[in-house]
Amino acid sequence: MENSSPTSAAPSRTLATPPRVARKDDTVPSPTLIDVKGLDFYYGAKQALFDINIAIPDRRVTAFIGPSGCGKSTLLRCLNRMNDLIDGTAVKRGEIKIRDIDIYGPAVDPIELRKRVGMVFQKSNPFPKSIYENIIYGLRIQGVKSKTKLDEVVEKSLRGAALWDEVKDRLHESGLGLSGGQQQRLCIARTIAVEPEVILMDEPCSALDPIATAKVEELIHELKKQFTIIIVTHSMQQAARCSDRTAFFYMGKLIEFDETHNIFMNPKNAQTEAYVSGRFG
Amino acid sequence: MKRYFDSELETFRSDLLRMGEVAVRQVRDALQALVTGDVKLAERVIAADDELDDLEKAIDTEAIRYMNLRAPVATELRLVIVGMKASHDLERVGDEATNIAKRAIRLAGEPPLKPYVDIPRMATISIEMLRAALDCFIHADSAKAIEVVKRDLEVDAINRQLYRELSSYMVEQPGTITRALELMFISKGLERIADHATNIAEETVFLSDAQDIRHEQSLKKSGLTS
Amino acid sequence: MTAPSHFYTSRNSFQRRTEGTIVWAFRLATYVILLCGVFVIGNICLKGLPTVTGSFRSLKQFPYVTNTFLFEAPESLYIFKHEGVKREMGDTEYRAFREAETARATAEGRPVPEFKAQSYVYAAGGIWPCIVGTVLLVVGAMTIALLLGVASAIFLSEYARDSAFVRFIRLAILNLAGVPSIVFGLFGFAMFVLYFDWNVSLMSGWFTLAFMVLPVVITASEEALKAVPKGFREGSLALGATKWQTIRKNVLPYALPGILTSSILGIARVAGETAPIMFTAAYVVRDKLPWEVAKFGDFFFQGVMALPYHIYVVSSKIPQNAYTQRVQYGTAFVFLGLVALIAGSSILLRNKLRGRYQW
Repeated sequence: MENSSPTSAAPSRTLATPPRVARKDDTVPSPTLIDVKGLDFYYGAKQALFDINIAIPDRRVTAFIGPSGCGKSTLLRCLNRMNDLIDGTAVKRGEIKIRDIDIYGPAVDPIELRKRVGMVFQKSNPFPKSIYENIIYGLRIQGVKSKTKLDEVVEKSLRGAALWDEVKDRLHESGLGLSGGQQQRLCIARTIAVEPEVILMDEPCSALDPIATAKVEELIHELKKQFTIIIVTHSMQQAARCSDRTAFFYMGKLIEFDETHNIFMNPKNAQTEAYVSGRFG
Repeated sequence: MKRYFDSELETFRSDLLRMGEVAVRQVRDALQALVTGDVKLAERVIAADDELDDLEKAIDTEAIRYMNLRAPVATELRLVIVGMKASHDLERVGDEATNIAKRAIRLAGEPPLKPYVDIPRMATISIEMLRAALDCFIHADSAKAIEVVKRDLEVDAINRQLYRELSSYMVEQPGTITRALELMFISKGLERIADHATNIAEETVFLSDAQDIRHEQSLKKSGLTS
Repeated sequence: MTAPSHFYTSRNSFQRRTEGTIVWAFRLATYVILLCGVFVIGNICLKGLPTVTGSFRSLKQFPYVTNTFLFEAPESLYIFKHEGVKREMGDTEYRAFREAETARATAEGRPVPEFKAQSYVYAAGGIWPCIVGTVLLVVGAMTIALLLGVASAIFLSEYARDSAFVRFIRLAILNLAGVPSIVFGLFGFAMFVLYFDWNVSLMSGWFTLAFMVLPVVITASEEALKAVPKGFREGSLALGATKWQTIRKNVLPYALPGILTSSILGIARVAGETAPIMFTAAYVVRDKLPWEVAKFGDFFFQGVMALPYHIYVVSSKIPQNAYTQRVQYGTAFVFLGLVALIAGSSILLRNKLRGRYQW
């Protein structure tokens, strides 16, 4: 709408259309990548997840929040079948489909699954090898030997993890010599070196100070252009800052799953409201 | 350290400034329409009020979203709160300008009651106050903001003087009552615009110094001498 | 001038007095142990050192040790008087001396002197074959024990799911640690010597000793594997590695120092036990050295002399006197030195690995 007053002394501005407030990427709907349907999960005889139905969108950040023991970490570890490593666990009902392939189906090899669904842990666990060896570990397992390819992957992964400038002169020093935040970014670099589709993060910043946490959150914002990210977090502020969609779990059930802004502004469920306002329990 | 949501705050600030500019322009145009009797200009002013309303809603939505998701503290929190309040003031300024424009249309057809001297003077001061308040917002200049607060008394004085004048007109020449009343309401509107500019100035002091200087009688009293 | 009393002044209470006494009791216990150890080892060193160095006089010149004791086979000692002088000689030397004297006497036309000597078995010569035998036994037994032990430790700690059967296996391994070594000797004798028909040989000795030291190796290896943080395994598996790849690259190298520490304990036991090798590998005396075999295969199926067995033989099976005592202490001293040497090299290897695989 243009308005200009020809008789006014000072030149008037040309008015542009009212400013858009929406963010460009995350309100655009994204197709579902991971579809969990009717999932029941047991630790031995004890049921940990009850009838979970959730559709995780592609190339977005989804946060799982909830009190301790609510099953969010359990669900996360189901997505790359890390729970298989614990004795007695079983998916008794339901399915988890990644790109329409049920990952608990008979033809699925968990080893191959884990190459495409990577994981970053709460306590950063860089291997006590050099930074270089840490990053190429995933490739060495797959038998990649060409030094040029390995060098290339190391640089790409470290740049992708916003760590290249800090460590490019000491690639052959031990990974344990880095600070906590750098170690966690090293673990992220290690995970993205195998080029997964999905990155699962189990409370990645809980052991980090606020500055390191901020760096990791900025990294997550960059990474979501390329990877689908699911982050389990105890910090509501982190879920609010980082994620596009948030799922609230309680006692093994999914209580609410919505756009993050709606979960924190106007949750539909009273339990969700109690939890996000810190009045739970 | 730069965060990726810093751009949201930048958008917020620029929205606020744009709203200020539109509001100032509306008041200026409304006065122009009144003084020159330009009906077309007045109609454009009335139509442009929608933009201010949309901007106010957008700024409020943005502010709420930012507070909800980014949990701002310190300067950012004050900016968001001040922004919400200032947008409300600016929207009211726009409404007052629209009312002036409507009255200008009604007065356009009739001969002027008296030469327009006081009303343009009030308008000039009000617009200067508004501009100054917005400048203080941009430059975080709290000293200048306090000057703006003090100038409000000038506008109040002109307003009271205009009331007395117009009342005596209405008593002496009853035929001028409609026109005089319109002018009194216009004067009242300009006085309100000056009040809103004062509010914005007080809010900018809160933004830059975290001081709440609203309702400070001492400030107003010190302005009596000017 | 007493210090002003306040909340934090020390009080002479019953607890503080008993604390002092108890700490002294602990100190005393430690010193007693230290004293015993020093006494035993000191005694052996003091009495054994002259044997190895010849006499204290030879300490003044290089190489400070006699070649005789360390590098020759055991012989009988002959003590006799010749031309009024008391002489001591080993078997070979005595024979040569006798021949030389006889020849000399004959050449000079004198009557052949009579040679009457007192002989003491094993009191001359050296213990070289025993040293060789012990080293071979230790190396072979430890290799077998480490291979079998580490493999089963990996299975038990990484692969086996917790079940009654696995708990039973662990219990069995623990029990094995308590079996007396003589019973191991009998087991080895029945199984390897008789049933497998290996006879008294290195192979029988290796396997018997290996089984004897397996519980220690398995337990310590399991502990070493458990000490590697879970994060290494999880991180590796999350990158798409198989379990064996994870163990081979990320767990085993870091558990190696711990495993080698257990091997040090094992070495001491393997080198020192007499009972298991008595029936399965050791000969009292053997004139051929282990590498003097007709064909390569025979190397494994021959018996050897061993240091602990030799100590047993010279200590109990022959009469005790000043001459044999020399040999006994000398052998004990060499034995301690050998075990210290092997253990020391294991420690060096462990330290090197620790530096390389630090975590």
